[in-house]
Amino acid sequence: MIKQTSIDGVPVLLAPTTGPARAGLAFRVGYADEPLARHGITHLVEHLALHSVGVADYHYNGATGAEFTYFHMQGGEAEIAAFLNGVCASLRNLPMHRLAVEKELLQAEANGRTPGVAEPMAIWRHGARDYGLSGYPEWGLPAITEDELRDWVARYFTRENAVLWVAGDAIPADLRLDLPAGVRMAAPRPSSALPVTPAFFPGSSGVVVWDAAVPRSTAAGIFASVLERVMFRELRQDAGLSYTVQTDYQTLGRDSAIVTAVADSLPEKQGAVLGAFVDVLATMRVGRIDPADVTAVVNKRIESLRHAEDVAARLPAQAFNLLTGRAVEEMEQAVAESRAVTVADVAEVAARAWSTGLVMAPNRADWAGFTAAPAGSDTAVAGHQFLFQAEPADRLIVAPDGVSLITGDGVSTVRHAECVLVRAWPDGARQLIGPDGTVIRVEPTLLADGARAVAAVDGGIRPGIRVYQPARDPRQVPQPQGQVQPVATPAPVSSHDRTVGLLGLIFFWPLVVFFGALTALFAIGALADSEDRGIVIGLTVFCAAVTAGGVFGVRRSARRRRG
Amino acid sequence: MSDPASAVVFDPAAVFPEVTTVRAALAARDWGAVRRVLDAATPVARTTLIRIGSEGDHLEDFLRYVVGADPNDTAAVAMLGNHLIEVGWNIRSDARAEHVSRQQFDSFHDWLRRAEVVLLDGVARRPDDPTLWAVRLISARGLGLGLAETRRRYGKLAALDPNHLPGQWQFLQGLCPKWGGSWAELQRWCRETMLAAPPGALQAGLVADGHIERWLDAGGGAQGVAYLRGDVVRAEIYEAAQRSIWHPGFSREHGWVDVASSFAFLFAMLEDQAATGAVFRLLGNVATELPWSYLAGDDPAGHIRQTREWALSGSGVTR
Repeated sequence: MIKQTSIDGVPVLLAPTTGPARAGLAFRVGYADEPLARHGITHLVEHLALHSVGVADYHYNGATGAEFTYFHMQGGEAEIAAFLNGVCASLRNLPMHRLAVEKELLQAEANGRTPGVAEPMAIWRHGARDYGLSGYPEWGLPAITEDELRDWVARYFTRENAVLWVAGDAIPADLRLDLPAGVRMAAPRPSSALPVTPAFFPGSSGVVVWDAAVPRSTAAGIFASVLERVMFRELRQDAGLSYTVQTDYQTLGRDSAIVTAVADSLPEKQGAVLGAFVDVLATMRVGRIDPADVTAVVNKRIESLRHAEDVAARLPAQAFNLLTGRAVEEMEQAVAESRAVTVADVAEVAARAWSTGLVMAPNRADWAGFTAAPAGSDTAVAGHQFLFQAEPADRLIVAPDGVSLITGDGVSTVRHAECVLVRAWPDGARQLIGPDGTVIRVEPTLLADGARAVAAVDGGIRPGIRVYQPARDPRQVPQPQGQVQPVATPAPVSSHDRTVGLLGLIFFWPLVVFFGALTALFAIGALADSEDRGIVIGLTVFCAAVTAGGVFGVRRSARRRRG
Repeated sequence: MSDPASAVVFDPAAVFPEVTTVRAALAARDWGAVRRVLDAATPVARTTLIRIGSEGDHLEDFLRYVVGADPNDTAAVAMLGNHLIEVGWNIRSDARAEHVSRQQFDSFHDWLRRAEVVLLDGVARRPDDPTLWAVRLISARGLGLGLAETRRRYGKLAALDPNHLPGQWQFLQGLCPKWGGSWAELQRWCRETMLAAPPGALQAGLVADGHIERWLDAGGGAQGVAYLRGDVVRAEIYEAAQRSIWHPGFSREHGWVDVASSFAFLFAMLEDQAATGAVFRLLGNVATELPWSYLAGDDPAGHIRQTREWALSGSGVTR
């Protein structure tokens, strides 16, 4: 039983636990709320808020996801109260003297992570906005000002936009959630950068990633788990094509969800992975689903739910439900809903998922009924043409309303009115990103009249979207015919690598930020059983997948979309 | 051609009367009658009849109607898929890739994609229908899906029917270097498949066809003949003949005319007049265009007539 009450105007979910007492304060804000030019601001607030709490106690943490940010503590009543009171005090008065240092720490954290192969999915599906931001590094950090941080807190870290959960017998007596008043902020509507689905885009070798937008439902969650079982049988056991197959179900806002499936491929067999996967999906779509698979998934899910209930591990998800405007779901209700799901329900989700699918594969997928996702722009701006020194056929066109790059591969256009980010280097290099994820890179050294081109581009940039970058190593400045990579690629060093294992290989560092935190949170609840994917990983991997930014994804995407 | 002795009959209906029944039923748009023949046929005969049926003109609307009425009727799905492939391949033509225009290729691929969409749904509903997998081998090759996917599809077929000759011919093509395979693998597979099939079965024809493909790749003609006359290859050809056309239990299942034609062709290339004559006596006046259409001049019937005359006369010169 989850008891609903409130404290200081903040709704509270209280449930008994057989484990240690814990509490979490969650806000309905995350990366998906950020403009790309301020990407990282929520994470920065989280770090600043935690800084004042102290460093000695390792039983607390904070996490920033796509839609939610929370602060969590395990310990005695007094410790929990002190921690959350401290967080609220920090939010009221962020320790701005820490700003530069925390920015650096976040940059280092980002540089230290291993990009995941699934990262480009969000960019291709959503573009460079809302849920697409999970594909980008926290590129807004250098530009974030103290005033912007205060505004962000005032807008999102309010008592109306918060929910507290407490796993224990009572709300700690000394707890005071002194938060400013505000309003509940609805989760953003997921944007789409896909004019037609099912769609595909070319990805790296060795892995096939597919995702699909479906209405949020118990059946959709069960579909994801059944899909994984069938994929495991078909791709790994029967055909020996893949070593790792995995699916996940991640809610998106109040009413939507994204189902994702990943299959790696053994060498020499990668051409068959897409074929086998498409067959699996088509099989489920027509309803040829073994009822035993559905039963097995439902039973496992119910077991997880009961286990989670015992240790109050359902609380965070229910708090998130409340924050997105849904009702708290009691365990027995969730069990009953799971039991009611039929093969036909799962097939219906599969059919829907098929039609909204996006696949990233080493090979084209048009033969299977997927349409190529747009990799360029339909039109170019009309303006001054700048020539390249070494590419006689290419043109950079700069107009008052935007910039186009024309190469043998096609046209890329970013219009100033829509441009979401301009990264600017002291040497004159510019990187413009359009809302659909289109990237245009202006490197003055490669152009015949570079300085004028940069000045012309700068003249049209909207205020607020330019983010200045530190000077580049001269070796990273590209030269005509040169082989130097223009994109600053962080060294792939990660202290988290060893802990992420295979999951991490596929879903990159999700395990680091939100995942790390949430996993710890659930693990505390003794829910570490890897079989409880529907509950634990479903919540975690994908909260995290959507959390993480992606150098890898962006670089690929930049190339794909002619950066 | 009016002289029966010089007739060359390519129409499979001359050997398999049910071909006529299927064609007539399709012409009458009587799917029930088509199904009666197909349902009574062996898996290999069914696949062959579906392929032959799909070669008819203007079938798409009719077959789409049949599939629409019952998406689980995978005989109709397979025939529709095969028909769409057929239309595409006619646009592409059998010319070597460098002689096919960009536009032809685009259109070809477009038709194959339509076929794939149809076949994917069919195989989702009835993955145990070997014909669907045999047809999917053709589309996989035309679309250039690669050897890994081709192997996967063939694996599905072989699990259902290890001796499904129409699919095996397709897989053999996929194993050719021109489609991403290698001669070593192709020849190993042909031989293993022959040995895995019962004596007298048509699978020995795969060994013959494998050597013909390599002869063709070597440029046909004299260079290719040198390849065929190598001791090992020659011995393999005769061994394969002993296991099939010269075996007392030689199968007269659909495909036997193709197999016998391949051996007649090879023995003629090897200038073994007696052996060539023996195969032509087995064939009578029926034949298949392949592999004779591989010879220069675009006149397979002429080549057959000339070779047969030489072989049966006990004198004369091939080619």
